Amino acid sequence: MLSTADVIAFVGVGILLTALFLQSESFISPLIQGIALQSLLLALLLGWLASTEGSLDLALLAGLTVVVRALVIPYVLRRQIRAFHWRIREIHAASRVTGHALAAVAAAIIAWFVFQQTLASVFPQPGAALPFVLLVQGLLMLATRSNTLVQVIGYLEEENAIVYAGALFASAFPLFVEVVVFLDVLGVVLVGVILSIQRDVTGSPEQAGLEELAG
Amino acid sequence: MNVLDPLLGLYLVLLAPPASALLALIPYSGASRMAARVGSLVALAAALALLVDGTSGRWGLYLGLDSLSRVFLVMVTSVYATSTWYSEGYLRGVHQPFLTPQLYYALLGAFAFAMVATLVVTDLGLMWIGIEATTVASALLVVLERKPTSVEAAWRYTLIASAGLTIALFALLLIYADTGTLDAFALAATHPALSLPIEMAVALALVGYGTKVGLFPMHTWLPDAHSEAPSPISAMFSGVLLPTALYAFLRVYAILPSPAPAMVTDLLVTFGLATALSGAFLLQRQRSFKRLLAYSSMEVMGIAVVGVALGGVALYGALVLLVTHAFAKSAAFYCAGNVLRSTGTTRVDEVRDLQHLMPRTGGAWVLASFAVTGAPPFGTFLGELLIVMGAIAAGWYWLALLLVLAVLVAFLGVNSQIGRMVFGSSSAKGSVQTRVPEDSAAVAYLNVAIALAVGVASLPYLSDAIRAASSLLGGSPP
Repeated sequence: MLSTADVIAFVGVGILLTALFLQSESFISPLIQGIALQSLLLALLLGWLASTEGSLDLALLAGLTVVVRALVIPYVLRRQIRAFHWRIREIHAASRVTGHALAAVAAAIIAWFVFQQTLASVFPQPGAALPFVLLVQGLLMLATRSNTLVQVIGYLEEENAIVYAGALFASAFPLFVEVVVFLDVLGVVLVGVILSIQRDVTGSPEQAGLEELAG
Repeated sequence: MNVLDPLLGLYLVLLAPPASALLALIPYSGASRMAARVGSLVALAAALALLVDGTSGRWGLYLGLDSLSRVFLVMVTSVYATSTWYSEGYLRGVHQPFLTPQLYYALLGAFAFAMVATLVVTDLGLMWIGIEATTVASALLVVLERKPTSVEAAWRYTLIASAGLTIALFALLLIYADTGTLDAFALAATHPALSLPIEMAVALALVGYGTKVGLFPMHTWLPDAHSEAPSPISAMFSGVLLPTALYAFLRVYAILPSPAPAMVTDLLVTFGLATALSGAFLLQRQRSFKRLLAYSSMEVMGIAVVGVALGGVALYGALVLLVTHAFAKSAAFYCAGNVLRSTGTTRVDEVRDLQHLMPRTGGAWVLASFAVTGAPPFGTFLGELLIVMGAIAAGWYWLALLLVLAVLVAFLGVNSQIGRMVFGSSSAKGSVQTRVPEDSAAVAYLNVAIALAVGVASLPYLSDAIRAASSLLGGSPP
């Protein structure tokens, strides 16, 4: 019989692996599948905690996570790729892929170390460092990638980190559901509206590095 | 003085912007503009009534007011009202806009509502939602002019601001895990015992909300969004969105006992000074006058954060600076909007001789640029002087010296560029291509006059509220 600690450990390992996979993948389609899988794993944890704690909020969050971040946004992102009619590969040089992977592992270790040194005594729950690690991974992806579709995936990873943290050590956090709904609304605005405008106006998913915006 | 029941005033200031946003969607010519104007004036009148009334307290679970929120409410609703009035003329000059006027005014109302809501709630979680909602409401306003650069600016704004705000949300998780509440008023009244999570939360909130304030090095969205947004929206970004984000940080900061721990003070001084200096030096090489104004806002925000860190008289100076800057910078952006619509360019070297071509706008722009850069007798001068005096009083002489350096560099950078555009010879290059009615310069003069009044006179009620707000945060007004 599985215990809550087993589920937290299983999901934690899965989320960490998907985070590292996302950092080292150069094609967009697997990246979209990766973030959908990460969201499903998180929803699994939320669903488990909802059933063991009898929490309606957590059940609602699990449902939102599946619908918005595992299904709707990945679906819209896939449609964006199809609209461009080419197979989008963001990183071409093999050395850059290796560099991203190494940076991701280094960032994960540093984030884990910082958490252990500062907050581990306050949050002794098993796996409590993992949301912090995931947040850093999302920030790293936002900071190092230039493709807007990949940046959306970095944003979704950050959102997953917030939900993960809330589920592990602040499940009674007031307005948590509302906060997540707002983040989802922002995700939809990001993906559905601005990306579409960008495609119509510039015809490319790449950050243009436009001369006028330099400086 | 009791001019309006405080709860009624609170509902009016909170609900007028969303009501006007909904009414603005009515598809009749002129109805959306009228709805937006009436809504913004009702919100401003309610904010002024609350300022005069002076009642502090809380209503229900989540609504509350104190002197700090009253000061910020007046700032936000004033610039919302002037931007709404200024928008009509500006929108007429935008060719093939991405948004219809109805949608524009609806989003403008939603944007104002998000800021007002941030200011009238007592819960840190709701404040965070309010700040996040400002991003959702304003991102689409940035792309009004449908240019590739404006789309990229909107993208960077949304992504960087949201990434920062997730860090702020982590800060709130830490506060809740440590104290069991997110009630900002209660936490500020009781000051929970200092602990590592609380200090970390304040540091994370500084980074998180600081992204939206435009603190270095998380500022990169700011010059893009300010320069690419339509001018009335740039005015709201610079004048009141940055201070509203700072307000959200101040509510987290207020839970610390006074004086704040040295680690937090050092962090604030470091971020603030780095922002002030980088803003002052980066603006020197800007070719776009809207980016010039954006970097100037960054410099002012940096100085204000240093003022908050120093406490005492400097904190009072920081609030005076924020209030004056809101009026002065919005005036500067209205002038920039007039010039952009007339000349079709934002490049400094393509605009000359505004003193003859657009005398009213040119005059207002010179006054506004003096006001934003801390020239006496504007309120910005008073605010910056008090912050420098606070640094000297605290024995931080090197800090006072570097602050003066930032102020001087920004003063010279902004005024030399604006001066060239207004007084430079027209034989250089560029000219006015479209005659724009200069009536819209009136709102710029109005805001400049308020910035001047804050510096030379003790404005009834507003000055008292700024003093009370300063005391609330542990400052000591002179």
